[in-house]
This record gives sequence, C-alpha cells and structure tokens, in this order.
Amino acid sequence: MALKLYDKLKHSIRYWLLRTLPTCQQTVEKISQSMERPLSLRERIDLKLHLWICAWCQWYMEHLHLIRETARAKAVEPSDFVSGAGLSNEARERIRRRLTNEN
Amino acid sequence: MNAPQGKFPAESPDPGRWLDDHGDYLFKYAVFRLRDNNAAEDAVQETFLAALKAYKQFEGRGSERTWLVGILKHKIVDHFRRSGREAPLGEEADEGPEHREFFERPEPWQGHWNNDYAPSEWHATPAELIERSDFWKIFNDCLSPLPQRTASAFTLREVDGLKSEEICEILSIKVNNLWVMLHRARLHLRNCLELNWFRSEE
Repeated sequence: MALKLYDKLKHSIRYWLLRTLPTCQQTVEKISQSMERPLSLRERIDLKLHLWICAWCQWYMEHLHLIRETARAKAVEPSDFVSGAGLSNEARERIRRRLTNEN
Repeated sequence: MNAPQGKFPAESPDPGRWLDDHGDYLFKYAVFRLRDNNAAEDAVQETFLAALKAYKQFEGRGSERTWLVGILKHKIVDHFRRSGREAPLGEEADEGPEHREFFERPEPWQGHWNNDYAPSEWHATPAELIERSDFWKIFNDCLSPLPQRTASAFTLREVDGLKSEEICEILSIKVNNLWVMLHRARLHLRNCLELNWFRSEE
C-alpha cells in the first residue's frame, strides 16, 4: 500500500516536472552549450532535474561526450576511410614533380 | 650525406623521401578534416612546399613528422578560413538539415522527443570505435549533408579541440552562431550515427 502510494507520488512529481521544466528540445540545446561555456546556476538546476527524469536526454548527453572523446582520440590517428591507403598515385606523382621543380 | 641513419636533419632537405615517408599519413590527416580529396592533396603539397622553405628553421628539433603535421595544421586552417570568407553566412544561420521532426509538435508534449527519434542506449567505447574503419566511413558520410561551415566548425571543435574564439576568427562568425552551428551538427550527427551505426550494430 505504502509502496503503491510512493510510486504514485513519484509518478506525479515526474509528470509535474516534465510539464514545468524546459522541454527536451530546449534541454538538448543547453546540453550542447554546456560543452562550450559554464552554465548559470539556474540552467544547471534545470538541466540536472530534467536529466533526473528523462533517460533520453541523459543518453543524448552521454552520446555527445562519447562522440567528442572518440573524435579527439581519432584526431592523432587519421582514418583509413574513403581513399584507403592514402594519396592516389596521380596525386603522389604530381606532388613529386612539383617538389622536384621547387628544390 | 654521411649522417647516421635516423639522425635529422640531413644536410639538404629530401622532399622525395618526405613524400614517401609521410605523404599518406599527412593526406589521411587532412582528408579526415577537410572531407575532400582534392583539398587534402593541395594541403599536403602546400605543406611540403612550405617545409622546403622553412627547412633551415627546423634544425631537427622534435620528429620530422610532428614538424610536418604542425605545418599541415596551418594549411588546413587556411583552407577553412578561405572557404569561410567565400561563403556568406546567409542561409547557414537559419537552416540546417531538417530536424524539427525530432521533437513532438502537438500539445501536450510539444518539444519533447518524438518516439521515432528519441536516443537509445549505445554500447560502445572510444577505444573500440577508433579501430572500426566502417564507423569512420559513416561518421564522414553523416557530416557531409551539413552546410560547409557548420561541418568545419564541428571538426575544429570536436576533432581538434580549438577554443571558441579561435574558431570564430577562422570562420568569421560570432560566438552565438558558433553555438547554434555546433548544436545543429551534434543533433544531426548523433541521430545519423544512431540510425546507421548503433542500431544496425545490435
């Protein structure tokens, strides 16, 4: 009985917060800005509360940080996508000729 | 000429060997950021030409590759700066890839995630993803539909970790524009990676 009441209360609080706090659309913009500048106290409280009740935005924030971390780790180890091995033979020869002329 | 192996610099620069030793690496470094083969080839060529001119100042401090990458970084930034100057801000300020469907339109849940686009849990670590060349192919494809300057801003910030002020100066934009661009790029890229990589991985 008490447990049921607790659940009901939790549900109501959650619902009330969802209706009161900034929406997900506004929150994801704040999440992005939190990676660029310090948020104000009010912004931080709103964000914390929203994340507390919204798994989607929580994941969203985790994903942005994962993308950043992954991209920065890749920055020093360039990728093999697109042209696979690197310079095409034509480009290589073109650059070689240019360098020979210059040297 | 008689310098022991690996000791650098030799008495005169050897750009042919630079090309053999570092050409592919520099190209991959550039194409990852510029996402354009021609522009990346140009940047590599300009790097070697600048290296020939600056050879005397190098004096073998640090590794040859680090020195060349340092020059290449400037060439890449020059490319972004040029394309920033050429394209007026205009449409980029208000448009981006369509993303209004990401969120509910009708009340009572206006502004909350649309079920079809709501994020789901990802199971991945940077260490795993770095190794997957197919992931980087998708990453690259996902950035392609973004307006040029938006993609450049994203790359400078999230790949190279430049500060806001530096990026604004390079792209000739105001910091508020930068934040809007980064937000749009992230929203779009996250969704695109989820649809094309994370959901199909499961």
